[in-house]
Amino acid sequence: MKIALCSSFVPFLNSGARHIVEWLEVMLIKEGHQVERVYLPEVDAPHLLFQQMTAFRWVDLSAADRVICFRPQAHLISHPHKILWFIHHLRSFYDLWEDDLYRGFPDDAKHRGLRDALHAADTSAIREAKHVFSNSRVVSERLRQFNGVESEVLYPPVLDPQRFYCREYNDEIVCICRLEHHKRQHLLIEALQYTNTPVRLRLCGLSSGPNYPEYLLHLIEELHLADRVTLEVRWISEQEKADYLADCLAAAYLPKDEDSYGYPSIEASHASKAIITTLDSGGVLELVRDGVNGFVTETTPQGLAKAMDQLYVDKNMAKRMGHNALNCLDEMNISWSHVLTRLLA
Amino acid sequence: MAPFVWGGAEELAVNLQKNLIIAGHESEILRIPFQWEPAERIPTQMMMVRAFELWNVDHVIALKFPAFYIRHPNKTLWLLHQYRQAYDLYDAGQTNLPPNQIGEDIRTLIRNADNETFAESRRIFTNSEVTRQRLAKYNGFDATVLLPPINDAELFVGKSTGNYIFAGGRINGMKRQKMLLEALSHADSRVKLVIAGPPDSAADGEELKATVARLGLEDRVKLDIRFLPRDAYADYLTNAAAVAYLPFDEDSLGYVAMEAATAGKALITTSDSGGILGLVRHRETGWVAEPTPGGLAEAMSAVYADVAVTRAYGSSARALWHSFNIDWSNTVETLLP
Amino acid sequence: MKLILVTPTIKASAIGRMACLVTKSLVAIGHTVVVVRAEIKPLFNAPTHDFGVDMIRWDDEQGVLDAAADADAVVYQIGDNFPYHEGCLEWIERLPGLVCLHDFFLGHLFFSWAERNREAADAVLKRWYGEEGARVFFDPSSDPDFIARTCNVAPMTEWICSQAIGVITHSRWGTPRVIRSCAGPVEVVPLAYDAPVDFSAVTAPSPSRHASVFRLLTIGHINPNKRVANVIRAIASSPLLRAQCVYQLVGHIQPAAIIQLSTLASSLRVNLVVTGEADDATLARAVAEADIVSCLRWPSLEAASASAIESMLYGKATIVTDTGFYHELPEGCVEKISHDDEIANVRRALERLFTDSTARTALGGRARQWASTTYVPENYAHRIADMSKVCMKTRPVADAEHFFNGVMRNWGASSELLRASELMMSPFRAETDLNL
Repeated sequence: MKIALCSSFVPFLNSGARHIVEWLEVMLIKEGHQVERVYLPEVDAPHLLFQQMTAFRWVDLSAADRVICFRPQAHLISHPHKILWFIHHLRSFYDLWEDDLYRGFPDDAKHRGLRDALHAADTSAIREAKHVFSNSRVVSERLRQFNGVESEVLYPPVLDPQRFYCREYNDEIVCICRLEHHKRQHLLIEALQYTNTPVRLRLCGLSSGPNYPEYLLHLIEELHLADRVTLEVRWISEQEKADYLADCLAAAYLPKDEDSYGYPSIEASHASKAIITTLDSGGVLELVRDGVNGFVTETTPQGLAKAMDQLYVDKNMAKRMGHNALNCLDEMNISWSHVLTRLLA
Repeated sequence: MAPFVWGGAEELAVNLQKNLIIAGHESEILRIPFQWEPAERIPTQMMMVRAFELWNVDHVIALKFPAFYIRHPNKTLWLLHQYRQAYDLYDAGQTNLPPNQIGEDIRTLIRNADNETFAESRRIFTNSEVTRQRLAKYNGFDATVLLPPINDAELFVGKSTGNYIFAGGRINGMKRQKMLLEALSHADSRVKLVIAGPPDSAADGEELKATVARLGLEDRVKLDIRFLPRDAYADYLTNAAAVAYLPFDEDSLGYVAMEAATAGKALITTSDSGGILGLVRHRETGWVAEPTPGGLAEAMSAVYADVAVTRAYGSSARALWHSFNIDWSNTVETLLP
Repeated sequence: MKLILVTPTIKASAIGRMACLVTKSLVAIGHTVVVVRAEIKPLFNAPTHDFGVDMIRWDDEQGVLDAAADADAVVYQIGDNFPYHEGCLEWIERLPGLVCLHDFFLGHLFFSWAERNREAADAVLKRWYGEEGARVFFDPSSDPDFIARTCNVAPMTEWICSQAIGVITHSRWGTPRVIRSCAGPVEVVPLAYDAPVDFSAVTAPSPSRHASVFRLLTIGHINPNKRVANVIRAIASSPLLRAQCVYQLVGHIQPAAIIQLSTLASSLRVNLVVTGEADDATLARAVAEADIVSCLRWPSLEAASASAIESMLYGKATIVTDTGFYHELPEGCVEKISHDDEIANVRRALERLFTDSTARTALGGRARQWASTTYVPENYAHRIADMSKVCMKTRPVADAEHFFNGVMRNWGASSELLRASELMMSPFRAETDLNL
């Protein structure tokens, strides 16, 4: 089949949204399909929104048998066989409208009008799809609440999961993801001061700016934890990531209110490692079940510390939970074969 | 870009990106789908590009219509294609623009929009002399010719001088592989031909096969009709006696010709082939034949007349190509000084 | 909400009167209103209606911009009269807003505007009406009657409505052109109006009142559209009417028309009383004493007739031409007269209504009942407020269309191409549903 994968993008910003498209491309080509990846630029400025959306409406992919749309506002593209793998809305106009800080523009009549127009246009475009998939129950719920659309959850797998492996269970909890305030690595550092065991922490990844990593460093110093925390502010290669996960005691991933479970948690699962997360981590809780394949703690340093200690003290539990984590992926049918079956149905 | 079609322009973009990164930049390719049928659709396709917003980008290099309409303060054009059906092909009566007022209006629209983009671009390069002339003639803008380098030059080191003439590249009516076959039946009995490349349509491939059968050339022609992996293609080329490339009135030098010259192979082309004539000097770097089976047959036979001469032509072709100084490092330097 | 109302304000303007009523209702509901006076500068000295809110002159550039800076919406009252609406034209492009469209035909407004904007005017004509429309509009050779030659080919409705972010108009018959050209919502709302004449001052019938006199009245600016000559002929064609009917004209009338109509009446022995412009007391008496009011109109190009509404509010038996706005009035509230065979139809209607006082009273009663619950300023005010909110939702789409129109203009797109691309350029336009 000729399949066009359509997504909006911001040049030079690599995010999970790119993985879901590019990995799917690899898998589809493996299956023998012809794939055209269509990335179109988009900027969320309110006064520019509708002219960009009009442009998206004019994108003509009739040469494709099927079109799969991902990041907003790609779902506006029109095609007789349009499939959505919906990963998030323009959240400042949807579930984060009430958040004054996040929204970035005033809650006045003019912007409310824009918001309502956007909802109507989105709903109409989403309804054109032959099938709507989402990447999590969180996103499905938002599609239902705001657009009145039912969607099927299709969890995004990781590419070549066999590169993740399990070697041993050492003494460090690993968190490999972008160092950002909403990813809350600082909570993990704060948690260490409440631990009773010598459990260690490894935090690695890039950051969008110098402020947050500096803050983390400062925190480590202040709490005299330099000997227990390894902070690597750099791009981590896939091989390094696989090796860290292979050896770690467990993984931690506790973003604030995330849309979906996030690649770090599924990567850890493939490496047979338990995942520590918190009650308000959003989509991560669709993967992590407290006491089964990890811990879902209170969003406090103390709560996190307790989980970290438990894993350190009971390595067998850590192993057991780690294996459960791997099995969970099968139970939840998180696999490329399932994805391809559903998308190409 | 036309979705699912991968051609020279797409290869160029990928290699430009690769070499920009080698030079230390971050680079992404923005491929914008473009549908030109029916022609009434073209205005909205143009407006579509004009509405895109680029953020987080320092520099834009635009290659084709209508992608070059994108707005950015730092835009450089490396013009590979205008919408020829509004320009020279329109004059030649080969256009999809309807022969009525709307067609005229669309043509005017394209010209005005093109001129706006040319005026707002920092610098304009074209990929061939032909493209440069067209731009000057139809839009009145000056440009510098920047010939695109070949990709993966390291693959094209001449190996042996084999017993066959190699005709590579896409197979379709404009590339005229069929004329080579017709010429072969008039040529010296020593002449052997290898035609290898992807057909634009199944019919294009079938036609060549049928021609071979009709002319009874099975023992002198090898047809390898498919998309060739790069090393297979390089293998054919670097072991050939000479390379034939005779498209009808093509804009640019042609990758096949440049790759052949890189590998030091003598070139065969025809007088109406267009851009390639920049590389083929008759009886210096190869042969420029009349665009007839008879004329081509003469050139093909000549390849076998004196191997030393043929090899010398090949070396001259390489020297001429090198004298153009067309490599990726220079190209990147020129585009982003 | 804070609203800017750009409108004629002078007493002579019926639209000004309507805008005044609406302004008071908007304020009563709780909105803030600032009025921008739209009449031509020489008329700024004329007495105005009492709006009760701040008024700014349209040529007070800074004043208008300051007021608009924190306004939620701008509302333009537009009618086919340049001297009353120049200010609207000056601001509508810079401050996009809602248009209350009082006339579907805007040829006179456009013509006057074109005098100082000929090049732009030609472009507008070509854009909406092609070469044909552009040619015919200014060229009297095809038909010296301006309205006759332009009202079907180039009524100029689109010229204004394409600049509006939403349109409120007052009847349905002219809306197709509005819907086609306006990127925002279109609604039909009954015109806000009132019946200000106080009958309590009229105590006893005047001495000249005879029991068997039929009093027919026409109010307002007396021009040929009001069919006065044919009403005179209709009266003349009926012995009954000729004997007993007195036809009174109250309102501004040109001296030439006075002579023409008086001569016609006397030659036909019809009792015509030309009162001309009158003070309130005279007008009140005329209305109180009238048995029937004639609101005939041909051609009828307005979205609603203030005078017909007024007559209905007074509970008068009213005769109207069966066209346009009048055609949409409910049966049994007014007497609709077909324009074909006008004189005979008018004669029959007058004979019937003058002789059957029960029917006449009933007609007037139903008219008042209908009018008093329909043409309510408070309803109009609510609809403006609601429409402004709806426009906030359609505005982003309109702005996007505006962006692309600008791009096409920069590229020198011909009007043919713009028209051909119209549909494609509006992928988000919802089906405008008229409030039926």
